[in-house]
Amino acid sequence: MDSLFAKADAIKPLAKRRKTTHHDSSSSTAKKIKDAKADFTAQSVTKHTSIPKSLLPTSPEPSNDSTPKYSHIANKKLRGELQRQTAHNARAKALVDESADMLLVEDAGKMEVEGEMDRTWRTSQDEIAKAAGQEAAKGRRELRLDGGPYRTRYTRNGRHLAIAGRHGHVAAFDWQTGALHTELQLQETCRDITFLQDHTYFAVAQKKYVYIYDRDGVELHCLKSHIEPTRLEFLPYHWLLASVGNAGYLKYQDTSTGQLLVEHRTKLGSCTTMTQNLHNAVIHLGHQNGCITLWTPNLPHPAVQLLAHLGPVSSVSIDASSGGRYMASAGKDGTVKVWDCRNWKGSVREWSTRGAGSEVEVEWSQRGFLGVASGGSVNVYSPPTIQQQFNGHVQPPLYLTHPIPSRPLTSLRFTPFQDVLTIGHNAGVSSILVPGSGEPNFDSSEADPFESRKARREREVKGLLDKIQPELITLDPEFIGTLSEPSKLVTSDGKPATELPYARLPRFDKLRVSGKVDTTEDGDSDDETGGDAEGEGEGEESRKARKEEKEKKRMRGKNNSMKRYLRKQRKNVIDPATVAIRTKLEKMKEEKRQAMLVKKGIVEEKKKSSALDRFKRKT
Amino acid sequence: MVRISVLQHAPEQHLPTRPGDPTPQSRNLNPLMHPFARARERTRALNAAKLDRIFAKPFVAALEGHMDAIETMAKQPDSMVNVASGSWGGGTYSNISCRMVLTDGSTDVIMHNLSTRQVTKKILQAHKGKITGLSYASADRLLSCGVDRTIKMWSIGEENSESVLTQAQNIFPGKAAFNAIDHHRSDRLFATASNIVQIWDETKTSPISNLTFPTSTETITALKFNLAESSILASCGSDRTFTLYDIRTSKAERRVVMNFQSTSLSWSPTLPTLLLLASEDHNLYTFDVRHLDRPTQIYKAHSSAVMSCDWSPTGTEFVSGGWDKTVRIWQFKDGKGVQRPEVYHTKRMQRVTSTVFSGDARFVLSGSDDGNVRIWKAKASEKLGVVTARERAAIEYRSKLKERWSVDSEVSRITRSRHLPKAVRSTDKLKHTMLEARRVKEERRRKHTRAGDSKPKAEKKKIVVAEQT
Repeated sequence: MDSLFAKADAIKPLAKRRKTTHHDSSSSTAKKIKDAKADFTAQSVTKHTSIPKSLLPTSPEPSNDSTPKYSHIANKKLRGELQRQTAHNARAKALVDESADMLLVEDAGKMEVEGEMDRTWRTSQDEIAKAAGQEAAKGRRELRLDGGPYRTRYTRNGRHLAIAGRHGHVAAFDWQTGALHTELQLQETCRDITFLQDHTYFAVAQKKYVYIYDRDGVELHCLKSHIEPTRLEFLPYHWLLASVGNAGYLKYQDTSTGQLLVEHRTKLGSCTTMTQNLHNAVIHLGHQNGCITLWTPNLPHPAVQLLAHLGPVSSVSIDASSGGRYMASAGKDGTVKVWDCRNWKGSVREWSTRGAGSEVEVEWSQRGFLGVASGGSVNVYSPPTIQQQFNGHVQPPLYLTHPIPSRPLTSLRFTPFQDVLTIGHNAGVSSILVPGSGEPNFDSSEADPFESRKARREREVKGLLDKIQPELITLDPEFIGTLSEPSKLVTSDGKPATELPYARLPRFDKLRVSGKVDTTEDGDSDDETGGDAEGEGEGEESRKARKEEKEKKRMRGKNNSMKRYLRKQRKNVIDPATVAIRTKLEKMKEEKRQAMLVKKGIVEEKKKSSALDRFKRKT
Repeated sequence: MVRISVLQHAPEQHLPTRPGDPTPQSRNLNPLMHPFARARERTRALNAAKLDRIFAKPFVAALEGHMDAIETMAKQPDSMVNVASGSWGGGTYSNISCRMVLTDGSTDVIMHNLSTRQVTKKILQAHKGKITGLSYASADRLLSCGVDRTIKMWSIGEENSESVLTQAQNIFPGKAAFNAIDHHRSDRLFATASNIVQIWDETKTSPISNLTFPTSTETITALKFNLAESSILASCGSDRTFTLYDIRTSKAERRVVMNFQSTSLSWSPTLPTLLLLASEDHNLYTFDVRHLDRPTQIYKAHSSAVMSCDWSPTGTEFVSGGWDKTVRIWQFKDGKGVQRPEVYHTKRMQRVTSTVFSGDARFVLSGSDDGNVRIWKAKASEKLGVVTARERAAIEYRSKLKERWSVDSEVSRITRSRHLPKAVRSTDKLKHTMLEARRVKEERRRKHTRAGDSKPKAEKKKIVVAEQT
């Protein structure tokens, strides 16, 4: 048997090496011998017991001094797990830092002044185009079209553009090569256009319904549940097409299954302003009464409603560069406001636009440049200043301005991954160069301007597989994968209600959980036991009398409406509301008692101290 | 003066240089470029869990051939493919996979080849009555014992052609019916279990030593040699005991009395002191033989007596088969708790009497009362056949995702839930009710006795009744 015990720790599965608690001096030598001689059994099982090759870390572990030791934690298991996790995180972070200069190869565009008296906004588009060089200068374009004011929309990779004229002229083309996909004359009012998951499908908000066309302009679907739509948005990770119309209904249609997911009645009348927050898929609507409301498919009422402007809201946009933290809104009163989405108490900064007619359009670029189209010109403001708190009612420092004579300017879109701003207006579409507005480094797995047809198909399938359920849309997208908050409900003995399994709950709590508790019984029990203790040793008659008296009292007590309310509330659950009411009641009682004492002259009334007390003579 | 630079992508960096080249991929790891990364990863984990259940087709094949219930199975220690099974009828086959015409109803031992799923050998009329034990002595010799009080050694030869054996190479007569047999790992010795444990030399017709615990009057039902220290022998018997012997001293070293009888036992191939016991109280136990006062772990899931158990050659998992007509595969986590086991069942599989893990740890064999040997995958959703590198990477990614999101309620619900036959489910429910009632009763009794009078006893400490040396 001893020889068996000696062998106990010699051979072990490779993946599950156990710490040897029964340690003796000979084990180290035994280990050396084992290392020296390759164990064939071990080799044969490594395939099944070790971490797969593709999951083995490729970079070395970070140095030990940088990661915390967690030596204050007594639990060995927890400490080990924490150390492992921090080491893993440190390694991942080091990997990202290291890879940044390898992966991010392209530099963002920029415009910088050399002298103190120079201003970037004085630079005209001709000068920028001249300085940009041949290829980049192609971004500066003018399309003269008749067919009314135009709305424009880019695909997520910035490669394809769709335009819709008010009078029914719809076109989609490859913006880089200039190849036209389709051009339609729909002969009826078109109010908005949006691409679906990629450039192969687009949806148009027409006079009565929403229609979906494919790349070649073939009408695929007519969505008759979207009546008189004015604005469209597509949520790419949820595959939802959202529309809002003149009737003021916000409707979500699932484009992967075709179901109308939900429709919300906004109760705020016709709505002509809609945008989405890319980072949490919340829809922002701007209304005629100056309200901005935030919607998710799960809530029948807005998640947030704020009065942003005095007068109708004309445009709303979200800053994607800050992770959806800032929102810009413009009203028909000519003011532009920047809001912090974490705190809706007042705007971060606001100013009035000059020469604003009725339409003011705002739009954030990928790198946080804010474009504002008002009157006959487009102004662009640069990022750090635009998001900083400022109390004055003046325009922030201008980055770039460009006059466009053909009013109204109805649409403003920055091209993703390009330094280009496209403006839809009455006489067509024009695009200007805004150096620095576009994100220079794209990610092929998300949006790639140069993707091939095969890659596009692959991404579409992957996107469908990774489709996020609409129930998960919330204001905070990071709640998935976080720990749930502990329940505020507690049982009668003060423990959290969820901690104990049902089988181990006390009988009363079991009854309460299964809804079988008789609430009328409890509350009087303590009175009764108290009464029994008192009545001990007394005669049978007096006890009877006492009981009768008690019952009488109890009946009288029931007439008190507040007490009745409290009794109904009291179900052995410490509810914050009940506690608050109870403390308030106690406070009132105490005050009454004090007042009585003062009235009787037992206690002197405490006078409020005043500023003149310091001059009081001390006698 | 204003310095101007405008962003400009060079197409030659992002497009393949020649047609047919892969398109260059660019990456930006900025989290803002990947909205909903967590939510999408959860969706992927959910899909991985669902795919895992969709691909879970554990049943590989059924090897027919026996006319009666299978009593015992044995695998050839140094072979991946050779397995022998013995049945009540009294015949033995070796090697798995049966496509054969039975002429006689009393074929007893069949030798199967797992990879071809063919019968390689049959032994007709091996014993009178049922065969209770089988053990490979080497690649070409098989030992069998039966209730007819004989042990027979069969020369099975190396060639793979199907043949029928009728003549034993050697016959060892005994005094009582034998219940189990196991061959020594290196020496030409073997041990048998009847009412005592006997050690035999292959060249001698009578046992070289009798091992028994001094006070024992039981019937030994199973025995196994330790794999690392091959002179150590463990057995379990009808007296609710298991005993450890050393054949060098010819002595029973320890004996442990438990609450219920053990039916089968198996030594861990990687941790030499670890012994796995299958018990009639529906549980399995692992004992560290250095500390016999309590098991290191209790494995609860079967809803009826566990009839057999076997370790995987990796030592990280083991299989058990039970009277409840299910086969369960357990992960061994070395004192770090118990995962819910994988459970296999089919409509036609009856009580599982013997289970064996295959030599490559990828398959599990079960022999049952319906006379079939069934081959199951050890991992239910594993793909058989060639797996490309890309596929393997995807599989590994999916398993990692499942592990990472295993605390998510939806993911864990999908990975956890198993369909069970109605009978097993209702028995489980009944058993749970009974145990819960017992526990509550105990709790109430304790509540109404004087404080500190009776302390709750740890579950592990209730198992062992007495330890004898």
